Amino acid sequence: MKKKLIAMFLATVVTASSVLTGCGQQTESKTATQQDASEGTTKTTSSTASTGERTKITALLKGTESTEQYQVFNYLLSNYCEENGLEYEIELVNDMQDYFTKLQMYINSNTLPDIYGCPNGTLSKACKDIDALVDVGAELKRNGYYDKMNGAIVDFLTDADDGNIYLFPQGLYCEYFMYRTDIFEEAGITEAPATWGEFEAACQKIADIGEIPLVVGGSDAWQLMRYLSFSPWRITGPDFITNYQAGSDKFSSNDSAKYAVNLLHDLGTKGYFEPGFASVDYTSACNLFFGGTGAIFYSGSGQIGLANEMYKEGKLGFFPVPDTEGMENMPTNVPIHAGFAEAFNKATYDDTMQNFFDYMCENFSDACYTQAQIFSPFNEDLPEGLSQLYYDTQPMFSAAETAWTSWDDKLDSEVLTKIVDEQQKLAQGIITPDEFISNCDTFVTK
Amino acid sequence: MQKAFGKKSIIFLFIFPAFLIYTLFVVVSIIWAGYYSFFDWSGVGSKAFIGLQNYVELIANDKVFKSTVWHTLIYTVINVLIQVFGGLLFAILLSRVKKGRTALQTLYYVPVVISSVAICQIFLKLLSVTPTGVVNQLLSMFNPALKVMEWTSNPNISLYVTAFVEGYKYLGLYMVIFYAALIGVPDELSEAARIDGANHIKEYWYVKVPYIKPVIIANCILVLNGSLRSFEFSYLLTRGGPGNASELMTTYMYKQAFASMKYGYGSSVAIMIVIICLVIGLMFRKITGEGKEE
Repeated sequence: MKKKLIAMFLATVVTASSVLTGCGQQTESKTATQQDASEGTTKTTSSTASTGERTKITALLKGTESTEQYQVFNYLLSNYCEENGLEYEIELVNDMQDYFTKLQMYINSNTLPDIYGCPNGTLSKACKDIDALVDVGAELKRNGYYDKMNGAIVDFLTDADDGNIYLFPQGLYCEYFMYRTDIFEEAGITEAPATWGEFEAACQKIADIGEIPLVVGGSDAWQLMRYLSFSPWRITGPDFITNYQAGSDKFSSNDSAKYAVNLLHDLGTKGYFEPGFASVDYTSACNLFFGGTGAIFYSGSGQIGLANEMYKEGKLGFFPVPDTEGMENMPTNVPIHAGFAEAFNKATYDDTMQNFFDYMCENFSDACYTQAQIFSPFNEDLPEGLSQLYYDTQPMFSAAETAWTSWDDKLDSEVLTKIVDEQQKLAQGIITPDEFISNCDTFVTK
Repeated sequence: MQKAFGKKSIIFLFIFPAFLIYTLFVVVSIIWAGYYSFFDWSGVGSKAFIGLQNYVELIANDKVFKSTVWHTLIYTVINVLIQVFGGLLFAILLSRVKKGRTALQTLYYVPVVISSVAICQIFLKLLSVTPTGVVNQLLSMFNPALKVMEWTSNPNISLYVTAFVEGYKYLGLYMVIFYAALIGVPDELSEAARIDGANHIKEYWYVKVPYIKPVIIANCILVLNGSLRSFEFSYLLTRGGPGNASELMTTYMYKQAFASMKYGYGSSVAIMIVIICLVIGLMFRKITGEGKEE
């Protein structure tokens, strides 16, 4: 009987401890949520002292400690917090998909941090729906920085629904083709291609001398998608993709879109991309090109750090997006965008955060040039001592007013995922251009 | 004390915590996924109830999902062959080795303890086309054309390559289990077989392998389970591509729920995975007679 009692006691203790531990944790988290909800703020428990004053600034950013967004914000936050006796905490999520999942979690639980990286699209709309976005445009007008911002960047970040700006640019990114001057010379190419016809002819000449004409990170959605979107962008600006998403335009009925489909198919099936391109990601593609493989690489100001040495030695040249023959191309031929922009959480945007915002605007250009090696989104004179590539590429975009239209922002996630799968098949020759067009035209219905 | 542990009520009390945790993390999750599957929901914002529409779409119109079911079955068969039968073969060979057995055993077991991410990275480098990886470099010695052989980006073979990598990782685990089972076969049985004139092959075929049949079936169930819900190898090596060539049910579910932001639809895919796994698991138990009282 005694043994039975001991055994029963043991079992009860094990069960009770497990259950109570679970219940205890549940109660704690519930209390925290209730507090948040009642105060109408997020992260208040961790960001404020018992007196109600803010003690910490929190940020959620995409990338690692070596990515530009972290370098800029870590620099700004560390300096600002040191001056003002605050703490700061940056949460980093490297993988894009994991980042989106994390952001979704924060949105659903209404616990967004003070600053968070936010893609312009479905997620920024969801943040707007829960009133978690500060009107950055209004803030820039208040502190006098709105007029200093590059016109194309303003265009890029303007909300399609209400014309406001809710996101702060990560930087100014301009994209262009880089090419190896020695390979061009060897292949007998005297001038950088100005049209896609010349571009393909140059690729053929390079292939003929046994070199890889084009390096592309084919496993990353955006790299192949650029080739698909260049021509419609130069001809229609944002119109084609916006209308396609709305169901009022189709690949089959738009000549510039059809041109782009055929171009991507040609580049892939004629062997201009590096072998196995579909499994090469963008980082590996950068390593390949700057490591000496391939003649042309679509990259841009984000890679100035890597390109600088080759450019200094005269091994590297650059050219903008070529024209589409037989169609009227718009004057802007260098895609300009704001990178992975940041949002400020309206629920926690107090005086301290506003003060930080002003500090950030004041020091943003410095952080861009000295920390992250990217262009500042503000139209200011370039500081001295930068690498020559900055000074030589800046004239290409300094007067640009039309922003790049990122298909990956404009398309809704479902259509984007489907087109990404199809574009890879198209580039590999698994499907024909006609099949691609008819497949893609079914993804969006009016 | 021993008597007390024999009582059903005491056994239940000890099982209860595990049952509770299992229920919370598995059963409740499945129920929630089932609930979400009736909604048109992006994962953020408001949900719209649409009843069985996600399931109708999935079963009637979604060709990609059908292909992922087929891919998953092929993937599972390859994994059973590599992990169970490959593991058994390696265990038999190991049991014949007299010297250096421990070293070999450790070598084969190393991939099991390395994380899947690291294994995938290693294989991506080994099978790389540009720059040329070790595999293509070696193959090009026999045929120069094989230098640009595409492994993970060739839609015709990417599924098999992915299955092979998972099989490779876990082969050592099943080898060790089979080895433990094989050395547990009573010596008298082998001796009797040899006296009856059986050679080594017959000894294994007629005596040792039938003796460890329950272990083989148990391992088959384990591999079946693992392969049907396998995710990381396809996702890390090929992202389900090129196109959807190596897409599995799980990677498709992930893409739908998170990349396409169709959380409701992704949940319906998750429920279909549960159903398919249950059906295949039950069918396997029926075929093998597992679970019946001897």
